Amino acid sequence: MRENKKLAPRQIMFGISLLLVFGFSVAGCGLGSTNAAMRGQELFQNCAPCHQADGSGNPQVGAPNIAGMKAWYVQAQLQKFRAGTRGMHFSDVEGMRMRPMAVSLASDDDVKAVAQYVESLPTVKHAPTLTGDAHAGDNQFHLVCASCHGINGEGNPDLKAPRLAGVDDWYLATQLRKFKAGIRGNNSKDMEGRLMRPMSRVLTDEDAIRNVMAYLDTLNP
Amino acid sequence: MYERYITAASTYAHSIDHLFLLIAALVGFWLILAEVVLFALVIKYREKEGRPTRHITGEEKELHRWITIPHVLVILCDIVIVVPAILVWYNIKQAQPPAEQTVRVYAQQWAWSFQEPGPDGKLDTEDDIRTVGELHVTVNATYHFELMSRDVVHSFAIPSFRLKQDALPGRTITGWFRPNRVGTYDIQCTQMCGLGHALMAGRVIVETQQDHAAWLIRNANPSLASLPAAPAPVPENTTMAEARR
Ligand code: HEC
Ligand code: HEC
Ligand SMILES: [Cu+2]
Repeated sequence: MRENKKLAPRQIMFGISLLLVFGFSVAGCGLGSTNAAMRGQELFQNCAPCHQADGSGNPQVGAPNIAGMKAWYVQAQLQKFRAGTRGMHFSDVEGMRMRPMAVSLASDDDVKAVAQYVESLPTVKHAPTLTGDAHAGDNQFHLVCASCHGINGEGNPDLKAPRLAGVDDWYLATQLRKFKAGIRGNNSKDMEGRLMRPMSRVLTDEDAIRNVMAYLDTLNP
Repeated sequence: MYERYITAASTYAHSIDHLFLLIAALVGFWLILAEVVLFALVIKYREKEGRPTRHITGEEKELHRWITIPHVLVILCDIVIVVPAILVWYNIKQAQPPAEQTVRVYAQQWAWSFQEPGPDGKLDTEDDIRTVGELHVTVNATYHFELMSRDVVHSFAIPSFRLKQDALPGRTITGWFRPNRVGTYDIQCTQMCGLGHALMAGRVIVETQQDHAAWLIRNANPSLASLPAAPAPVPENTTMAEARR
């Protein structure tokens, strides 16, 4: 006759552990907020190692201060990194560091959500790191740059020109050098970069760049 | 055999595969044999009515043999593995056949970039081609690569070539490969190198001589020649522009 076996406590524990292991292994798959604001905040955790939790950046790794940067611009740049029209030049060491981070965003919706979160961060202004002739920079800026970047460097969404006021000078100077050398803005599909590139050549030398930076350092975001 | 799962696209891929197979066969044989014997003994000598399990110290001669004989056999197998392993290592890592082409490979967080000679076939000349993420080579040509890192330790791996070589900051490591099959193959970083490691991928495109020549003409862009060569290695906290000065 067949014995009526009862499950031993050991067997029950084993079953429960199996269920738990399975449960933990699928937990987190496909989960995540559907609410865009929450989603943006979640996604920004992937950016914080370089841009810091408050978005203020880290010069050590070349990561700019993006706190409060307008969502349209953040989104546009993330899409450029994703498409390889930025951060794919042989000499763009920092750009290549940023590119995989943009590529790792799963969808256009995620790009949008994280861009909106970046805009929501309060702007942070850092002390100047470069010195130059702010007066000469003022003239140069209003002669050339202000037409696109705004009288107070506040940016102009219609021209796709970003805010420069309150952005770290070391970062802007690096970008200007990259534009001049064709490391940024030389991709045929990067329309805005191609617009900005000839403008960077107006600043013929390092002093000209420093002067404009010294002027921009006097502005507030 | 491994080719069914991953293409073999370089001249030395087969010697690596044979070595793998030899190791897998010998180690697999001993693994299975040992497990079979172990479980057979466990089952045979399990506790039975009226027979308690026996505690064995393994000191008696006939028990000792269960250890010494396999031990000697395993060491013999080791020798059978080591000899071909040294030969393969020598052929791939130490003896370098003369180069028909030389390319430079830069690893950085988190991309692969390449400097390839332009139509003149020489590096560090005006017509050099610099690419990111894509290496173009001709089939059936022996390539030397000069591998450098711009920051931390990376590892340059092309599984289809059975090629893997660490890249160390501050050093230029020369290796070689000879692709023998046209196609596009993955390049991977196989050394954990930070946040973007998993996304540090590239492609090697092995093309016919004609296709490669056409690619060279298309890309030997004189406007790039004005750019300085890649400054390797760049310390973390210097910007490109500073490093160039
Ligand atoms: C591994 C470090 C790192 C991480 C992580 C990272 N970034 Fe960046 N990011 C950089 C660097 C370096 C640059 C500067 C690139 C350059 O010099 O062109 C940059 C540039 C940018 C820019 C361009 C700013 C401008 O003014 O043009 C934006 C926008 C940006 N990052 C957003 C993000 C977002 C959003 C995330 C998270 C999904 C993120 N980054 C994660 C390093 C990082
Ligand atoms: C014709 C309009 C125009 C003019 C004039 C112009 N810019 Fe720009 N600038 C742009 C656009 C558009 C972008 C955004 C490029 C992109 O999307 O990659 C840009 C980007 C930049 C950036 C990169 C900002 C960042 O966050 O990455 C800097 C720095 C910059 N400009 C500085 C200047 C300076 C300095 C001048 C004056 C010498 C100037 N620009 C003149 C249109 C202009
Ligand atoms: Cu790596």
